[in-house]
Amino acid sequence: MPDDPRLDLLLSLADDELILGHRHTEWTGWAPYLEEDLAFSSIGQDEIGHARLLYELAEPLAERDPDAQAFGRTPEEYRHAILCERPNGDWGYTMARQWLYDEADDVRLAALEGSSFAELAAAVKTVRLEERYHLEHAREWFRRLAGGSVEARQRFAEGLEAALPEAMALFEALPSEEELLAGGAMPRSSEVLLAEWLERVGRDLEEASLDWVLSAHQRAGGEMVPTSSGEIEAGPTLTVPGVKRLEGRWVHVGGFAGSGGRRGRRSEDFGPLWEEMTGLYRAIPGATW
Amino acid sequence: MVSATATEAIERRVRDALEGVADPEIPACSVADLGMVERVAVTHDAVEVDLLPTFVGCPAKDLIGDDVRRAVERAAEGRAVQVRFVYDPAWTTERITARGRERLRGVGIAPHWDRPSGPVAVPLMATSRVPCPFCGSADTVMESSWGPTPCRAQHWCRSCRNPFEGFKEKA
Repeated sequence: MPDDPRLDLLLSLADDELILGHRHTEWTGWAPYLEEDLAFSSIGQDEIGHARLLYELAEPLAERDPDAQAFGRTPEEYRHAILCERPNGDWGYTMARQWLYDEADDVRLAALEGSSFAELAAAVKTVRLEERYHLEHAREWFRRLAGGSVEARQRFAEGLEAALPEAMALFEALPSEEELLAGGAMPRSSEVLLAEWLERVGRDLEEASLDWVLSAHQRAGGEMVPTSSGEIEAGPTLTVPGVKRLEGRWVHVGGFAGSGGRRGRRSEDFGPLWEEMTGLYRAIPGATW
Repeated sequence: MVSATATEAIERRVRDALEGVADPEIPACSVADLGMVERVAVTHDAVEVDLLPTFVGCPAKDLIGDDVRRAVERAAEGRAVQVRFVYDPAWTTERITARGRERLRGVGIAPHWDRPSGPVAVPLMATSRVPCPFCGSADTVMESSWGPTPCRAQHWCRSCRNPFEGFKEKA
């Protein structure tokens, strides 16, 4: 029996939150100062909580409880965007990714408030009350780094350059997107959401005179994500992904860097994260504490 | 046939029991004080309680659910008890009862606050206008959106020079 298309949607949302939430919690004890230690610990906790709520909604469709969904799958069964699994790296990359991700999350959640999938629409409303604190945190750091010292600005720009191509793949079409759109579970297509997001981040980058990172991205291009088996996916996804300025707007052209996350394609960065995250679950199935 | 008065009496006992279930992270307040009880339904053989978590990812959720179930079972006179967390409607700070607000202030936590509008600096030293739970002054600043639990932020009172916590606004 083919999977319910709504499962596709729920897992893409939940896995993004779980995996990026896991990365956020890696700052616990290591952030540049105590307030940020608390911020990333709390944001990570929120994101993992949101993932759990979405896994609860998915339970009847997946026929697996939330823990089994979060920790009982093979790496190829996860459906998050590859951006979310990348290591935290430099503080500039961390904040660039959080900003790009939380703006993207806000765009898609705003759309999903109008979903025909009533339980999801209600959950999204609740989740957005918490996400706005994440967004506020990211926007504060955008202002602080973009308007900061030469070094702060430089490292933030480098982070943006690295994160931007893969952030676009957050909006790669879901495998069952046509059915989701037809049934109204997704009120707007990924392509439309991507355009909304690009308009938003493009405007902020222009105001900060950092929009060159969007144009630089056209040259970077290419597909650079080996699958866990080492194979590089060929074909149409190999076309150079890019952003162009057309009629006063930033628009996406070509393919996606870091594509395939929604179909279970994983980079080599995911293995160690998955090993650690699922270690206890695999060692002692059904463990409680 | 059980009379309506019997189920009403059980519902009263269940609601009383919920007044006695402390939030493990704020022991001065019960789950009822915090406005977490969304629904109590009593039938001839079952009691259902729907709770709203203050924050979706609250790590105390399972613990609270267990405490509530035990308390409700004692009041349910053998009826089957089901306790669920639901997310619709969303919990907001406005749900905290008058008594809950009083009790929160008693332990130095501001129950509700108006968010500053517009950009604020990092660290978040914006004037937050949250009345200080100790001296009542509005001359306070929010130091960080992040506190000891996901639902609380940290503030500083410039009048009485006390740090205090406040529930994050969700409305």
